[in-house]
Amino acid sequence: MEDKNLQSGTNLAASPTANWEPRIVAFLCNWCSYAGADLAGVSRFQYPPNIRIIRVPCSGRVSANMILDALKAGADGVLVSGCHPGDCHYISGNLHARRRFGLLKNFLEFLGIEPGRINFSWVSASEGEQFSEVVKKVTGRVKALGPTRRLVKEIRID
Amino acid sequence: MSDTNAKITEEIRAKARELLSSGEIAAFLGFTSGSLPMTTRPFVAKRPGDADKLIWNSFCVMNLANYLPALLESLEPPRGPKDPPPAGPLPKVGVVATGCCSRNIVVQMQERQVDRSRLVILGVSSRGMVDRKKVMAAAEGREPLKVEEGGHTLKVSGRDYELEIDRWSAVRDNCLTCAHNNPVISDYLIGPVSNRDVKDRFAQIEAIEAMPANARWKWFTDEIASCIRCYACRNACPLCYCPTCFVDDSRPQWVGKSTEPADTALFHILRAFHCAGRCTDCGACESACPMGIKMRLFTRKLSKDAFNLFGAEAGLDPQAQPPLATYRPDDPEEFLIVEEKK
Amino acid sequence: MNPKGSVLVVGAGIAGVQAALDLADGGYYVHLVERRPAIGGGMSQLDKTFPTNDCSACILSPKLVECGRHLNINLLTLSELVSIDGEPGDFRAVVRQHPRYVDTGKCIACGLCAEKCPKKVKNEFNMGLSERKAAYLLYPQAVPLKYAIDSKNCIWLNKPGRCGACAKACPAGAINFDDAPKDHLLEVGAVVLAPGFSPFDPSALDFTGYGRVPNVVTSMEFERLLSPSGPCLGHMERTSDHKEPKRIAWLQCVGSRDINKACHGYCSSVCCMYAIKQAVIAKEHATGGGLSAHIFFMDMRTHGKGFEGYYNRAQTDGVVFHRSRVHSVIPGKDDNLIIRYADEHGKAAEEEFDLVVLSVGLELNRNAISLMDKLGVGFDSDGFIVTAPFAPVSTNRPGVFVCGAASEPKDIPQSVVEASAAALEAERLLAEARWSKTKTKEFPPERDVRPEPPRIGVFVCHCGINISSVVDVKAVTEYAKGLPNVVFAQDNLFTCSQDTINQMSETIRRERLNRVVVASCSPRTHEPLFQETLREAGINKYLFEMANIRDQDSWVHRDAPKMATLKAKDLVRMAVAKVRGDEPLPYNSVPVTRAALVVGAGVAGMTAALSLADQGFKVHLVERKDRLWGHARKFYRTWQGDEVRPYLEDMSRAIESHSKIELHLNTTIEDASGSVGQFKTSLSDGSLIEHGVAILAIGGESFKPRQGKWNYLYGRNPNVHTLLELDKRFIEGDQDLKGLGQAVFIHCVGSRVPERPYCSRVCCTHAIDQALKLKELNPEMDIFMLYRDIRTYGKRERLYQEARGKGIVFVRYDLEHLPEVRDEGGRLLVRAHDPVLDRYINLHPDLLVLASAVVPRDDMGRLSKLYKCAVGAEGFLLEAHMKLRPVDFATEGVYLAGLCHYPKPIDETIAQAKAAAARAAIVLSKEAVPAEGVTAQVNPAKCTGCAVCTQVCPYSAINIDPATAKAVVNVGLCKGCGACVASCRSDAASLKNLGNEQIMAAIEAATEDVVIGPEGLV
Repeated sequence: MEDKNLQSGTNLAASPTANWEPRIVAFLCNWCSYAGADLAGVSRFQYPPNIRIIRVPCSGRVSANMILDALKAGADGVLVSGCHPGDCHYISGNLHARRRFGLLKNFLEFLGIEPGRINFSWVSASEGEQFSEVVKKVTGRVKALGPTRRLVKEIRID
Repeated sequence: MSDTNAKITEEIRAKARELLSSGEIAAFLGFTSGSLPMTTRPFVAKRPGDADKLIWNSFCVMNLANYLPALLESLEPPRGPKDPPPAGPLPKVGVVATGCCSRNIVVQMQERQVDRSRLVILGVSSRGMVDRKKVMAAAEGREPLKVEEGGHTLKVSGRDYELEIDRWSAVRDNCLTCAHNNPVISDYLIGPVSNRDVKDRFAQIEAIEAMPANARWKWFTDEIASCIRCYACRNACPLCYCPTCFVDDSRPQWVGKSTEPADTALFHILRAFHCAGRCTDCGACESACPMGIKMRLFTRKLSKDAFNLFGAEAGLDPQAQPPLATYRPDDPEEFLIVEEKK
Repeated sequence: MNPKGSVLVVGAGIAGVQAALDLADGGYYVHLVERRPAIGGGMSQLDKTFPTNDCSACILSPKLVECGRHLNINLLTLSELVSIDGEPGDFRAVVRQHPRYVDTGKCIACGLCAEKCPKKVKNEFNMGLSERKAAYLLYPQAVPLKYAIDSKNCIWLNKPGRCGACAKACPAGAINFDDAPKDHLLEVGAVVLAPGFSPFDPSALDFTGYGRVPNVVTSMEFERLLSPSGPCLGHMERTSDHKEPKRIAWLQCVGSRDINKACHGYCSSVCCMYAIKQAVIAKEHATGGGLSAHIFFMDMRTHGKGFEGYYNRAQTDGVVFHRSRVHSVIPGKDDNLIIRYADEHGKAAEEEFDLVVLSVGLELNRNAISLMDKLGVGFDSDGFIVTAPFAPVSTNRPGVFVCGAASEPKDIPQSVVEASAAALEAERLLAEARWSKTKTKEFPPERDVRPEPPRIGVFVCHCGINISSVVDVKAVTEYAKGLPNVVFAQDNLFTCSQDTINQMSETIRRERLNRVVVASCSPRTHEPLFQETLREAGINKYLFEMANIRDQDSWVHRDAPKMATLKAKDLVRMAVAKVRGDEPLPYNSVPVTRAALVVGAGVAGMTAALSLADQGFKVHLVERKDRLWGHARKFYRTWQGDEVRPYLEDMSRAIESHSKIELHLNTTIEDASGSVGQFKTSLSDGSLIEHGVAILAIGGESFKPRQGKWNYLYGRNPNVHTLLELDKRFIEGDQDLKGLGQAVFIHCVGSRVPERPYCSRVCCTHAIDQALKLKELNPEMDIFMLYRDIRTYGKRERLYQEARGKGIVFVRYDLEHLPEVRDEGGRLLVRAHDPVLDRYINLHPDLLVLASAVVPRDDMGRLSKLYKCAVGAEGFLLEAHMKLRPVDFATEGVYLAGLCHYPKPIDETIAQAKAAAARAAIVLSKEAVPAEGVTAQVNPAKCTGCAVCTQVCPYSAINIDPATAKAVVNVGLCKGCGACVASCRSDAASLKNLGNEQIMAAIEAATEDVVIGPEGLV
């Protein structure tokens, strides 16, 4: 459902904030992706500093509500990352999560939430470099989209 | 009332009367006439004599499964939270069920909200229920006082007009694309069974998918702009039975309670996602909405994906696991960011 | 005789520390003796470790701290073993503890003594590249974190009354010039020797220029130059002018593989890898990335797990490798150096460098030699402690075991494996005395913090300069002070140092903190340490959070210090938001079924089974075939020359007659469930086994090149064998072999190739040993070895030298010039390219032997999934940590040994199996093991009883109570994954301390200062 017309939304969103830096909330499973993020550090793979990692035991712990809550709270992007299928420390958490995320991502994009706001990946404990690449890619996407607006409550300054 | 409907009504009444008289069931759940034309309301018959109030027509748009769990519970002997479950069989309930209603009963069985052994299901094949709003639209603002059903027509009359419209043109959107109009489970089959060959079940969804993202967002926000957060949709839904609904919960508060666009949007997203893989597209939500919001399109998108991605359709098999409670090792994952190993 | 329940461990490097921890955790009291004022050994001096590039100090530090804090480890620093007598099970040891002149009970490690001390001396921890004072701390993360005064250099101690500045400066009154040596008489049941290594001293090697020419350093010196805690704080400088080198050369095999006087004939095993690592890390360190790194080597020996991949990456990343012989290092202009060398074709060449690193070998720790003599343990001709191939950690003195580099040069994982194996041997000897000498940790009663409002303490770590060189740690600390409910915040140089830990404990009490946040490194490594500190301070350990501002901040945003500081503040704010909602949780435990399952009855499985059964633990040994021995059945002899058969027969007898071993032959694993302490495994024979631990020793297979590029007519010409097929002929005593005129071996068949990019480790040695055996059978036989790099690591190098001495011809090939094999009317023709002569040679062997790869078993994936174990990129089972947890899986209670881990020879397999048994015994020796405290819980008022949670729970830990029709959690089975929570629509299921509200608080904190425009929804 990626479409080219998104470009117009990009310009609209990015204009008022010249020095804007996106804030990306990442839910990483403890056993693979969080460890992969640690390995990226140990290996000194540099990546953009926009990501805020929340450690969860398993990608299966991440509900649709949590992802939506991050968007509602004003996160410009969300990344959920877990173990590769078959590697889940809890056997099947990522496989349940995969169905949930597939449905949710399609659904939000169907309703017009920009593709690229929510992102999913599998990163193992030994994939430090892959982790940094994922973060680079997600940050790039979110920067291109501009600040999040949809689902963020308007703040009235009286 | 068409001949078919009249015959079905009679059969329902007879069966309900019989079951109540024999004591096999303690209550019968069906429809009775509403106070306005083109309306019906759920009705519980507890005495054989009540059975005569039951009716069947094309305006039975509420999903009776929604009322089943509470009705069943009300018939149990009272007990405290720590008391053991009562020994021996519990009173049974008879219920009329079309395709979608029976599927919702299946979902409720999967989700342990009803006990099949306590149900006597009178299955009725649905010809497609009529959307009151479509009839009103056809009447172009004139108040319909009486609607008579023919075989394939609806005869609408008001103070100073009479109008005959094609029945199918006034059938609810969900019924137009319904592939499961026959009951999937029943104890007695009432009336004729008709099979429908539906093509393009998801054409409406595909049309929206084909729109650009910004247009979709506009469509979505326009669609829900009139929402007054009355929760009629939720209340009509047989999938909604949580003791504390997320919209009422403050710990945690997933969604704000206001009608700010962001709050309303989040409400509809969360409500629809709660129904993912469970919704039978019965249309009760839309039928109940006082503002005419087409929220079925939201749940329909999820049904489409659950069907296309996981081959899952809600409420067809009591033994099946709901699609979000199971997985296959080779489920699609094209939505992932893929980083090739260097 | 009643054996003693205590063990003496001599040497507290990584091997000694690991042995001590395994023993202490397994029920023995340990006296850990270390000559230096702090533990940590050689590993503490390293900058990074290969092949994961982990920061050495970072991964070592938690173990050291654990050792220092362990109730059943008596740490004796500045100590040496003086004498030992008695017999196995009942030794009396005298340990002399030299005076520290600093009272460890009083020292607060403030460093004022060192600051005021006027006497400067060379800092041996930095290999003499910097100075320290006579009052000093060995290194910043030292355990124990206590200063010491060096009596040789202290002015007062040499001329009393002349100085005493330290005593005047010490605020704690800890200086004690009257300190005197103390002799401890220790009764121990066994002794584990882990004296470690000394780096080879290249001063005597003239051609290197070392000691005469500036800017020639040893590899150990270079480690310190790279280290952030080293003499130039990690800003790589050369020694003469403190300029950053732009061209660095590494000279391999300095002091190793050299039979000249003053050198060693053996291979030091680790130098190739550490040189590549240093080159890679140096390139990363270089400003602007313009470092040119050259490694001059003879054979590249990257024979360990993950090593070959590391080597390949280094080549891709631009490290230059010269296969060469270095003639000399001579001074150039501007303190530069010119290396004269002969390339592979024998052509002379020279190249100029700014810095030359000598990859010096390892020899037995010089300080330990006289001690070992006194103990009566034997040495081999290379000067290492002698062991036997089938008893790889036993010395020739019963009851005295050895581990680490003292018996052969080896890397850290192998040292750790041997340490656990040595612990196992001691445990086996002292099984009946288990728990007889140990103490039990008593934590103070926990304060009930529930009624108190949150009082949060925040500790922000500099991690030396690891964090503070990028993140403004002071600013983060100040920021933390202003966060709601934070009543205390401070920054620390090393939050994990023992001193800071103690101080944190005091702070918690003094400030009545009831929640703690540490902003430092990763909770994956350091959380347990800090959690225990909370317990010691009398609050529940779950009232704790970490903010990962190093691995996930300073290390990855090196070039954006402002953003990194902002991020650190955010991470602290998130942790504070999360910790605010933390509640005290119970300390759950799971009863242990005191039986082990060992899968696979090859050498690894048999060894592990016997090792546990001999300690009195019930063992189920499951083998899919109808007989024991596994892969080893096909082996003729070890590289040391011991035939394998008699050893296997001995083991069979022991296993078959062992009352504690139940053998299941012809049996496979059908299904498995449960977790540490309580596994249930169903076997194909229909039985259901309950066990507390599992050891996977499922072996590997030898690659049979039946088709494709590596076929070399295998299976098509009867004279083409694999190594094992030739072994079979040796075992059978095949007389025909004597009549062969020519034999050719092709190495690396299927190994080190794109589809299998790892080295199979065993084949070089195996092939050369076979070649020697053929020479034994027929000294006139012509033998050619077609090889890529000869990897006869460690003492195996002797075989290589012997082979060359006996006239076996070695011809190198590379992937661009693969040997070709043809069948010319039944006669083999092997055509190979000789790179020295740069031309092709034709051979007509009577026998062609393919040294084919060792490959993982094809059903590895199925078994690993049953026990939730990971499989690595190379297809072998993946251990929990490549360096420090080589026999554990990330899944608790499951261990691995043998070929399923990586190709390895029998002696290493035996050591690894014993190590796995030692690790398993830690669980089996207890009645219950701690269980997950962060478990799911269900709010019955919200639960609809829909049972979706029961469908997603992988552990059957959540069920619908038929009485209430609500979900209930079985805490003993719950692992805290949270699948139920995410699937619960009614918000009834939650995870303790990780419920939705706490996650939302973290999300809120993560996005707090995001500015939203007035447009809101667009």
